[in-house]
Amino acid sequence: MSLELENISILKQRSSIFDPVNLVIKPGEITTIMGPSGCGKSTLLSAVSGSLDKVFTLKGSVFLYGRDMANLPMEKRNIGILFQDDLLFPHMDIRGNLAFAIKEKTSRAQKNKIIDTALKTAGLKGFEKRDPSSLSGGQKARISLLRSLLAKPTALLLDEPFSKLDQTLKAKIRAFVFSQIKKMNIPALLVTHDPMDCPEGGVILNLNKEKG
Amino acid sequence: MRLFGQEKTYIFPVFVMGLFSVTILAGFIGTLLPSFNYLPVIGHTNLSLSVWFDFFSYPGIQTSILVTIFSGMTASFCVVTLAFLFISVSYENALWKFFEKILSPVLSIPHAAFAVGFGFLIAPSGWMVRLVSPVLTGFHTPPDWILLNDPLGISLTIALVIKEFPFLIMVAMGALGQLDIKKTLLVGRALGYKKEQIWLKVLIPRLYPHLRLSIFAIIAYSLSVVDMAILLGPNTPSSLSVLVLKWFNDPDVNFKLLASAGSLCLFFIVLVSIFIVYLIERIAHFFLGPWITNGKRSSFLALFKPFIAFMGICIILFTIISSVILVIWSLAWQWRFPDFLPTTWSLNFWAKGMVSSFDPVMTTVVTGVASAFIGLFLTIGCLEHEGNYRKNQTNQNQNSQDLIGLNQIRKKRTNNFIKNIHYFLYLPLLVPQITFMAGIQLLLVIMKMDGYWITLMGSHLLFVLPYMFIALSATYLSFDERVTDQAMLLRRSYARVMLSVKWPMLLKPILFSFAIGFSVSVAQYIPTMLVGAGRFSTITTEVVNIASGSDRRIMAVYALIQQCLPLIMFAAAIIIPKILYYNRKGMQV
Repeated sequence: MSLELENISILKQRSSIFDPVNLVIKPGEITTIMGPSGCGKSTLLSAVSGSLDKVFTLKGSVFLYGRDMANLPMEKRNIGILFQDDLLFPHMDIRGNLAFAIKEKTSRAQKNKIIDTALKTAGLKGFEKRDPSSLSGGQKARISLLRSLLAKPTALLLDEPFSKLDQTLKAKIRAFVFSQIKKMNIPALLVTHDPMDCPEGGVILNLNKEKG
Repeated sequence: MRLFGQEKTYIFPVFVMGLFSVTILAGFIGTLLPSFNYLPVIGHTNLSLSVWFDFFSYPGIQTSILVTIFSGMTASFCVVTLAFLFISVSYENALWKFFEKILSPVLSIPHAAFAVGFGFLIAPSGWMVRLVSPVLTGFHTPPDWILLNDPLGISLTIALVIKEFPFLIMVAMGALGQLDIKKTLLVGRALGYKKEQIWLKVLIPRLYPHLRLSIFAIIAYSLSVVDMAILLGPNTPSSLSVLVLKWFNDPDVNFKLLASAGSLCLFFIVLVSIFIVYLIERIAHFFLGPWITNGKRSSFLALFKPFIAFMGICIILFTIISSVILVIWSLAWQWRFPDFLPTTWSLNFWAKGMVSSFDPVMTTVVTGVASAFIGLFLTIGCLEHEGNYRKNQTNQNQNSQDLIGLNQIRKKRTNNFIKNIHYFLYLPLLVPQITFMAGIQLLLVIMKMDGYWITLMGSHLLFVLPYMFIALSATYLSFDERVTDQAMLLRRSYARVMLSVKWPMLLKPILFSFAIGFSVSVAQYIPTMLVGAGRFSTITTEVVNIASGSDRRIMAVYALIQQCLPLIMFAAAIIIPKILYYNRKGMQV
């Protein structure tokens, strides 16, 4: 009873691209959506986040803590997203990238404290002044997650966030991301094509379309 | 794979860099020495500061300088601000798509032709006053307002904004493709930011470095523009660039010294202005940081959205209407003041104008075609070299086990190389034309080489080449080299592969770049006036020359002829590939 997808289907030229989806994700839980590329996984995520392309039509409803998201623009939904690309802003330092996410009317001292703590939890203490492009792939991925979380989202969407990392790094970052979601106690929806990405004991949904 | 001829392409960038640096340096020296009273041909050999004293005590010179700075800087400031706001609120919407379609023809309108039409619009007896007269104003004779050639240069400033704004938008359209806009907007919105605020805080700061050189070029142009300033700018006293040209053409050769000092002063103004903008950029960098990260998600800009879109539409409308009014005037016979349209029409002035403009038009076309051809040759040469350079870098890296690190170094190195040649190509656009053209003209006189067509054409080439390079580089460099590699394996001749595979496939962008080069040449005023030494008149010099005191109807005919020449070339660039490849679906894109 926190992030609910009720009878969601997405239509393109009047035919739905997958069978209706019904999901309830509780706070701190991660539900995984699997399926081959092109099955509409990312499109489903964009429907939840509010960035669905105009060529698609959305049917069904998305509720976040009981609130209908239908008419809210993306920026009002308070849903964080993590992509496979880190998408850090290259013209700002790490501090700037993180401060960008913190809510308005936070004093500078408070902001610094928040950023300092956040960096510590990610094992990146003292990275405030670093240029994003000088960071390794794993470091960037962690900063990117911290940035999403500092905006205090009420839900998190993960769009194949680990697919560009190499095998050894993958496990580490995955563990970090999952632990942070637990800590924030928010519902999360993960999209992936790699079975290894699914958290233990989490719900897995295979997105498919019945023939005919 | 390297074949004969391929390793020699370095000649092109070396030649272009050499040509540009030598001419600009020579032009600069040719201006510097006379300003210190050294011009042996007219008997001045004692170095002294007397010219500078004369210059600064010339009646009205302070006003000239101030008006120049005011109109040039105001125009540049408005263009840049408007462009950034316009991009922020209309990227990829319907208005933006309309701009994409209309930008090329709008940009091809020569400054002089636009200035003539714009003058017909805003003059006291112009179309705008006629539109509301006599119903709203009660005017039955034109009011005696000073709307054209106003002493503060406001009409000139507005015209500059209208003409330079589409240019900056076009440059921005090219640069925006290099930023990951869609994803950045998604990330920003997921963090709760409004679209407009993401543009202002994240995307514009990243776009700016790509536009920096173009903005500097706009500043240099606005401060030193001559043809538009003669047609629309103040004349008592006129802006500095116009004054310099007047001195330069004075029958009394001693005025050439004064002209040199004046054009150097103009150069200095441009340098200081660019430096100030650079300082502002640094300071902004310092102060904008806290603003960007203050966490404010919404923006006032959203409220101004309709207003900014309206300004963008106005700019395009003014350009279009300026052409429409030219057409009407050129066909008018009798047109009394408050009437909105002529009472009687005639083709007389077209007949007259076609005959009398024949020679200047021929000079314009021959010079334009020649300089665009040479420009194209050099542009393709430089780009071909750049392409080969990149390819070699890739090959070397592949041989030595490509790691991600190496790839990045390669990217950086190629970027540096492009940057270097871009800086060189931008040089003629960053220095006031009149400054180094005046110097070159004096040197040519000394060497007894002034007034030849070949030097005139060469002077056009200096301005044709940069624009052609900018226009062609992105498409040319992104050509799929696997096609050429494949052809090389079959043909084993570099020249053959170029002639029969690569260039035919790139025909459309190549012709487009040619049309741009041609239209740049058509619009040249100062090089023709100075290097041509009065022996050559083009349609552009004619438009400006007849503007003072001539019949509006003949002015309109001339301005339209000037405007049509580039348009014909652009039309050809669109039609020729269509005809040649009418049965090739793969070439219809």
